Amino acid sequence: MVWLELALALLLLGSAGLAAWSLQERRRLRHRVDSAAAELQRLQAAFGHFAPGAVVDRIAARGRPSEADRREVTVLFADLVGFTALGEALTPEALVAILNDYFGRMSRVIEQHRGHVAKFIGDGLMALFGALEPNPWQANDAVHAALAMQRALTEYNSELAARRGPHLRAGIGIHRGPAVAGVLGSYTLMEFTVIGGTVNLASRVERLTRVHGQAVLITDAVREQLDPRFALIAMPPAVARGVADPVATWAVKGFDGDA
Amino acid sequence: MPALDAVEWETCLLEPVHNPAAERALRKALGVVPPGFTYFLDSAWGPAAAIAFDLGHLPLRHLSSKVAEMVALVVSQDNACRYCFNMTRGVLGILGFSDARIRRLEEDLRTAELDAAELAALQFARRVSRAAPPVGLSDVAPLRALGWSNAAIAELAAVAAINVFYNRTATLPALPYQAADELFRRPTVRLFGPLVRRWMRPRRRRAPTPLAAEARVGPFAPFVTALEGLPVAPRLHTVIRACLHGSTLGPRATAMVFAVVARGIGCAVSEREATQLLLADGMPEHDIEPALAHLAAPSLGPLERAVAALARDSVWPQPASLQRHARTIRPLFTPQQFVDLIGVAALANALCRLSIAVDLAPPSA
Repeated sequence: MVWLELALALLLLGSAGLAAWSLQERRRLRHRVDSAAAELQRLQAAFGHFAPGAVVDRIAARGRPSEADRREVTVLFADLVGFTALGEALTPEALVAILNDYFGRMSRVIEQHRGHVAKFIGDGLMALFGALEPNPWQANDAVHAALAMQRALTEYNSELAARRGPHLRAGIGIHRGPAVAGVLGSYTLMEFTVIGGTVNLASRVERLTRVHGQAVLITDAVREQLDPRFALIAMPPAVARGVADPVATWAVKGFDGDA
Repeated sequence: MPALDAVEWETCLLEPVHNPAAERALRKALGVVPPGFTYFLDSAWGPAAAIAFDLGHLPLRHLSSKVAEMVALVVSQDNACRYCFNMTRGVLGILGFSDARIRRLEEDLRTAELDAAELAALQFARRVSRAAPPVGLSDVAPLRALGWSNAAIAELAAVAAINVFYNRTATLPALPYQAADELFRRPTVRLFGPLVRRWMRPRRRRAPTPLAAEARVGPFAPFVTALEGLPVAPRLHTVIRACLHGSTLGPRATAMVFAVVARGIGCAVSEREATQLLLADGMPEHDIEPALAHLAAPSLGPLERAVAALARDSVWPQPASLQRHARTIRPLFTPQQFVDLIGVAALANALCRLSIAVDLAPPSA
């Protein structure tokens, strides 16, 4: 009888221990699921800065989405003039530090003007306006951003000069038109971006800043949508690589009003 | 979906107001003065809007109260409105949703034990709220395939739009979201929650709701008549009329908010209605297009330009950035005007989204 009671007590004790262990495991599992879900939400939120919310949802649900659409976007290219030669005179650490600082400042300015940086290309960047939401004010936003980027660069140059750093000069080209927007890349590296002639021409216009010796150039397509309070100077049409006809551009000299 | 605890949120731009007459009206209609409404009691039309749009008392003809509450959660989450999100979580808890179920709704609709109709409804509501781009026929198709009528789709769009209204009224002035957490942690609320559960659920109304003749004419009447038969239609008329008559911003600034939001979202009907209001106020016709294209025109004063710029930022807001913008321009306005600006921008965002959705599925068709 004593043995039976002892066995029963041991069984009860064992069951209680098993229940406690099971409860603890469930709590641990719940905690891990919660952490994973929170991490996923953070990743989705972070990715949401670079792609429309609907695209982020589709990627989360089904992996890379295959659909793409055509939308009206304004594309801004910015490139540092003569930075390759400048880079050879700096240590790799100094070069990377200056470039990252520059990119950080420019990205903040672009975001403040409702654009987003789609990619960094060497010492250049491509920013999009109207790619995430159908923004009817995208031309004004992009040109305001370009002027603010020039102001931010002037400020950064003052800081660099104070610590005997190099002087940076940026050329900015802006064009507007239809482009195909979608998620491109492989499963290991994908990005939400736009492709098409609009993007190519914006890149060419940025190269023309060197030809015309101007900091910010825009095309006729941008000018047509622009607030008349922007001060513009017509540039002579110039040949751009890969473009059949000479490209007419306008130099942006300032804005007479509240941005 | 944004992780809301990571969403930046400024300190509140408004102070609670004591207005005995408005509080009495709210108590009479809703039973309580909801905490968020205390910031808007100075507005001549705020309490009327709060009563007409209160989702706990809005009769529904087609939608279940369960779907309506889930719409509130996903829309407030999508709009990154920390205040409304916390409020809705609390309400869902009182309505009997377990914490685990609410968490699954927040994390991923696909794993939230929803039937096909509920999932389609929540996805549609989210698209109405986002409006980037505005909803199209391809968004309506899954609901139609599941047997939803145009009237049911329109009611769903209206509930999503009303939540957009609340999200903007809470996000623009950065209402303190912590207050919502505290409210639902109160022992009394936890104790009596199950008792008020039944009272909180909106009533179902099977018969069509008649629309008065006066609701068929005047500004934005096409919106109201498009929803004819739904209980929300006369309430929408009440809010629009109260806003246009009661806004202390003045007719031009009020109409500018509607016009700018309509331009941003791409709602031609709303832009046409708002343009009529601008013309009626004497704004030169040749000034209207520049005003909408560049948010500036000779006939717009500093207050109207500030209003237009904030309206533009309210369309797809980043909460903290919108709140900082609102704080910057607040000194230009009287406290009453500032509260009205928040309300008008919220209403414009709701109406433009609703108008596009209802155009796709007119209930009377």
